[in-house]
Amino acid sequence: MALRELASLEKYLGLKKPNKYSTQGDKKIPVLQNNSPPLVGLVTIACHLVKESNHQELLGDTADSRAVVQQWLEYRLTRLDIYTKEDIKTVLKDLNLYLQDKVFLAGNHVTLADILIYYGLHPIIVDLAVQEKEEYVNVTRWFDHIQHHPGIRHHLPPVVVLRNRIYTSRHR
Amino acid sequence: MGFGDLKSSSGLKVLNDFLLDRSYIEGFVPSQADVAVFDVLSTPPPADLCHALRWYNHIKSYHNQKSSLPGVKKPLGQYGPPGVADTTSSAPAASKDDEDDDDIDLFGSDEEEDSEATKLKEQRLAEYAAKKAKKPTLIAKSSLLLDVKPWDDETDMAKLEECVRSIEMDGLVWGQSKLVPVGYGIKKLQISCVVEDDKVGTDILEEKITAFEDHVQSMDVAAFNKI
Repeated sequence: MALRELASLEKYLGLKKPNKYSTQGDKKIPVLQNNSPPLVGLVTIACHLVKESNHQELLGDTADSRAVVQQWLEYRLTRLDIYTKEDIKTVLKDLNLYLQDKVFLAGNHVTLADILIYYGLHPIIVDLAVQEKEEYVNVTRWFDHIQHHPGIRHHLPPVVVLRNRIYTSRHR
Repeated sequence: MGFGDLKSSSGLKVLNDFLLDRSYIEGFVPSQADVAVFDVLSTPPPADLCHALRWYNHIKSYHNQKSSLPGVKKPLGQYGPPGVADTTSSAPAASKDDEDDDDIDLFGSDEEEDSEATKLKEQRLAEYAAKKAKKPTLIAKSSLLLDVKPWDDETDMAKLEECVRSIEMDGLVWGQSKLVPVGYGIKKLQISCVVEDDKVGTDILEEKITAFEDHVQSMDVAAFNKI
């Protein structure tokens, strides 16, 4: 999973030479082989790729937004990669509240935080029922927005979001 | 389409509702559509309309790239949920014209009476239109699937589709289309559309489509569903 994410990220960044990866341990943590010493860890490798490709803005363009990007990258690792059913609800509620007045997770444009949280959330959102998607209306809106952003949704199937709301009483 | 009166709270509520599950007015990137609506709002929406406020702050951050955003600015009535008319008022323009008339005119008293009467009429019309715009949900709509048949297999189907899509009527929205083979190399164009029952009838639509006699041999309604 993580390897496919990194491959998609490489494509999005327009990196010409695909890097060599392997995995470590039973949790399948990705390892970047090109470097010496090899780099371990999804977020570490992702940040390294972004810097390599000169797309610094993906890490945030002000000190504040850089901090927010790092916050969400950490969130991805600690909350999204190891979760139980109850955790999912908490995660979705947190995100829904956070995204109420924001279009992107950090600042006013797409950042690495949006990309990695999108990849991490995808399996969860795919399994959500329509009713739940409408309950977490901000998450759904943000998710739909990111998946339509050119270049991000490579290996993942698109999640259909209905335009006509069926359950109208939940989110007034 | 339209948001009602965007200078009033009812219009802003429609905008808020519209933006509840959308990041932008049209599509998934900021465009001239957002600029068009943003320019009408003179102040940020109130904090209880959180989605409109979110959108407003986001679009504000693009204000120095306004002219380079993609798309073409269309009149306000083209955006927003279907079924809501645009009644954003343009009253200041009307009163200015009246003042000019009064200055030049010889028969001063007659003109004044007339201008007052027209002002009253306009005010009443605006109120009526605003009332009408507040009832968006009662409009009956249907989804139609039309089969458009060409003369032979050499007819340019792309041109045919263009002709059909060029038919613009109030209350008519074209949807997806596909080409279905019928036999002997002939393909028919299956195109869907959503119509408002009061404004568009299938016979009018049929007349307009068959008017393109060079390309269209006939048209049928393949499916008709009430929405």
